[in-house]
Amino acid sequence: MKTKIPWWHFPLLLVVLGSLLPLIWMLATAWKTPEQVFNASLNPWPYPATAANFAYVMGAIPLGRYILNTFIIAFIVTAAKLLTSILAAYGFTQFSFRGRETLFYLCLLSIFVPFTVTMMPNYLFMSRMGWLNTYTGVALPQMADALGIFLLRQSIRSIPPSLVEAARLDRVGHGRILGRVLLPAIKPSLIALGILFFINTWNEYFWPLLMINDKSMYTLPLALQMFTNLEGGTNWGAMMAAATLASLPPVVAYLLAQRYVVDTFIHSGLKG
Amino acid sequence: MFLNWRRGVIASVLIGTLAGSLLTGCGTGNKASGSGSAGNGGKVTTIEYWHVNSENFGGQTVRDLVQKFNEQHPDIKVVEKFQPNMYLGLMQNLQAALAGGHPPAVAQIGYNYLDYATANLPHLPVEDAAKTDPEGQAFLNNYLPNILNLGRVNGKLEGVPYSISNPVLYYNADMFKAAGLDPQNPPKTWAEVRDMARIIKEKTGNYGLYVQEPSDNWAQQAMMESNGAQVLTRTGGKARATFDSPEAIEAYQLMADMVLKDKTALHATWEEGTQAFITGKVGMYVTTIARRNYIETSSKFKVLTAPFPTFGNKPRRVPAGGNALFIFAKDPDQQKAAWEFIKYLESPEALTTWTKGTGYLPPRQDVTDDPRYLKPFMEQNPLMKPAVAQLPDAVPWVSFPGNNGLQAEQVLLDARDAILGGRQPAAEVLKEAAAKVNKLIGN
Amino acid sequence: MKIAREPGPKFAAIKGYLVPWGCLAPALAFLALFTFWPLVSTLKLSFYQWNMVSPTPKWVGLTNYLEILRSREFWLAFWHTLEYTLILLALNLALPYITAYILSHLVFKGQNFYRALIFLPSVLSLAVAAVIFLWLYNPLAGPVNALLRLLGLPAPPWLSSYRWVIPALAVITAWKSFGYNFIVLLAGLVAVPLELIEAARLEKASNWQIFWRIVRPLTSGTALYVLVMTVIIGSQYVFVPIQMLTNGGPDQASTNLVFFIYQYTFNFFQTGKAAAAAVITLIIFGGLLFLQKRVLEKGVYYEN
Repeated sequence: MKTKIPWWHFPLLLVVLGSLLPLIWMLATAWKTPEQVFNASLNPWPYPATAANFAYVMGAIPLGRYILNTFIIAFIVTAAKLLTSILAAYGFTQFSFRGRETLFYLCLLSIFVPFTVTMMPNYLFMSRMGWLNTYTGVALPQMADALGIFLLRQSIRSIPPSLVEAARLDRVGHGRILGRVLLPAIKPSLIALGILFFINTWNEYFWPLLMINDKSMYTLPLALQMFTNLEGGTNWGAMMAAATLASLPPVVAYLLAQRYVVDTFIHSGLKG
Repeated sequence: MFLNWRRGVIASVLIGTLAGSLLTGCGTGNKASGSGSAGNGGKVTTIEYWHVNSENFGGQTVRDLVQKFNEQHPDIKVVEKFQPNMYLGLMQNLQAALAGGHPPAVAQIGYNYLDYATANLPHLPVEDAAKTDPEGQAFLNNYLPNILNLGRVNGKLEGVPYSISNPVLYYNADMFKAAGLDPQNPPKTWAEVRDMARIIKEKTGNYGLYVQEPSDNWAQQAMMESNGAQVLTRTGGKARATFDSPEAIEAYQLMADMVLKDKTALHATWEEGTQAFITGKVGMYVTTIARRNYIETSSKFKVLTAPFPTFGNKPRRVPAGGNALFIFAKDPDQQKAAWEFIKYLESPEALTTWTKGTGYLPPRQDVTDDPRYLKPFMEQNPLMKPAVAQLPDAVPWVSFPGNNGLQAEQVLLDARDAILGGRQPAAEVLKEAAAKVNKLIGN
Repeated sequence: MKIAREPGPKFAAIKGYLVPWGCLAPALAFLALFTFWPLVSTLKLSFYQWNMVSPTPKWVGLTNYLEILRSREFWLAFWHTLEYTLILLALNLALPYITAYILSHLVFKGQNFYRALIFLPSVLSLAVAAVIFLWLYNPLAGPVNALLRLLGLPAPPWLSSYRWVIPALAVITAWKSFGYNFIVLLAGLVAVPLELIEAARLEKASNWQIFWRIVRPLTSGTALYVLVMTVIIGSQYVFVPIQMLTNGGPDQASTNLVFFIYQYTFNFFQTGKAAAAAVITLIIFGGLLFLQKRVLEKGVYYEN
């Protein structure tokens, strides 16, 4: 049955507008001269547009280096989180031993520990290890993720047990069960989770802020604060240009793989 | 210590076995700090210099000075690092860096944190650093004793006074004309400020006044103390917050009335306020002379300055703003390099560059009066005159003693928001805040 | 242990433990090191006075707790946390829930268009969101106030106004998180069997009735997940705009519990009090979780 009720599109369009307007203003402001920024702040279509803000940002910060830093950290963290989550999910689903459930719920509890509670001991620990201003310092504390363990455990549980049983009867080793049977079966979840991890790490602001004060090690979100805090007149055009550049990689990646990303989210059971 | 050594061991093992392959070649060492080398066989000592000078506040001048120093000293490499949110932000980052064991070698400490830094942060008092240098005493003799006192805590010279500033009244001469006011007759008292602000508002629709609101209470202290109040009263080694006296309340309430009743004064962040002034939306602006260069060059109208207004006939009291240079390096080589760098920053040439690029007054009278250095500049630049003229009115910038100095400062910032934001009248807010500060500083 | 294919029962027993624990070890080790050990360390620290720099922390017993619980700032932070949470529940649970319902059951064209664009802001950094809104909220020249003035409406200084600062910051967080919650809820909603809804339609149930009586109960598991995440993660997300834009101001009007802990740690360097506040916050969160479990579990229908 297809009940077409076109006016239901209005609330949806309103939501879309709410999602896009801030981005439109970010883009528009990035292309404005200072005069246009202040005198025509409502105009979403700067004319004539100027690329001066982008030129300024590119001159002021080593953009390529920051993209590389951000990418390396996001990549390490994503890979490590997936690896530890897969192994743990395998451990929690394929074996039964005393204390398994307790241990699992203990893992889950870590989701509810706000990072401000752990940041100070972790900061001191990292700095005593000499890991300030290193990829290690940023990446190491986030190499396990309870949410990842939880979601992959759900996914593995939803695989028909007969598949694994059959492999076991054939005396197949653990590595092969995992690699040949389980991982292919939960591939959509893995991809969705990986994308989620990657985007979240790419966007992370606070922990890198504590770990990194050497400008050459900045990540893109950190570079943004170099354009705020200019007492006496933020250069808004430049700030929005920097925000645009910092958002470009995840947005482009998302738009290219958009259908796939959203579809995997919807169909992978990436929900509680 | 709370961080057990075992964590270190476990972590190392973990990295070695599990994540090692992922990380190989990814981490780069901490190059900037802690690389002071013992054997000096052509080795370069790298030190960090932390400052509060953003792009609009002498940032370029800092870079020029550092570059020049590095050229002159092939064995030392200074890396400058800007710290946001003024002296408060710098103090906070500094303490975190000290906790992490990687402090900068030299840092600008705002005069309002002298007590806190001396009591809480391990440092090398410059008095001790000077003793290791045969020319040290001669160098310190360049300063007038009252200036050198700005860097002293309990009699000991902890940091070398570097930047000195005081608050002046900048005003938009074009807007004065448009409002029918005489640009040659800026307000001399706060009563006149209030009247003129009203006229500006009526005639031009713009705000009349903005008094700087950064993360310190410097300008507010100038107002309160010029009305005869004392922000902090020290008697026999004990300090008491006394910014809830009737005079202090009166001064603050005047500001609140202009913001809330007259609606002729702007209550905004420093950033927004400065922006408002230089884009011609505010007629008068009370801020530090140290911003002179930026304000002068970025305003498209004629900017003039006047001395900080007084309350009737009461004497003007302006806190000496600015900062002293402290040494936080631990390694002897770095300490030596730090002292060299400080001597350079305080040299007549460097101070001349510094004053021209910012607006700070130099701590050395000999530099101000010398025709080779700042004398011609000071004579040519009329905007600097009020600041020089009111130097005799300088009082110390309040610096809260004890371990809770950073929080005490925050209490005053909150009070400012509460009064100017209209939560409660000045009297109640200041009473409450004074009680809180007294508790924090141990009364 | 189910699997035993090696000879000798003893060896098998050892090996039987080796594999599962080997699988769990990496994740457990990281969580133990960087989440649970710091937690213990924080608990310990809450009984000391320490500025992070001095060599020896000073034992002060329960003083930190007592002082925190007696301070105005802590209770401000506490109530503000509730205020943020309520706003976020409206903007990041109720609103995306209804939006997802409309998209999944009332509209049939443009599915991909809507999904793609509504999800878009969630791939951005909160830091980016914060600076965009810093400009949008600019009191003198920002677009929001320019528009309000054009319409003849009052244009408050959003981030320095007692009344508006919390909603203004909550909106930043909500804008960034909306898309993710929306997609998660949508995933739950598309799983609701269409036959049920069609049957209800035949009985002339209104759309609201269908949502409330059929769809909501059937998706309550997903909703519970989003609810818990909004409560717990929301107060952490909101921290970024607080720290970047207002620093808790004006006059602590935008502080929340997470920011309070940060402020006492890295602004005041009173780590003992920060630790005490952290422990209290954990207890509050724990209590909330427990309550949620008790209250909601009865009405929750698990899809699986």
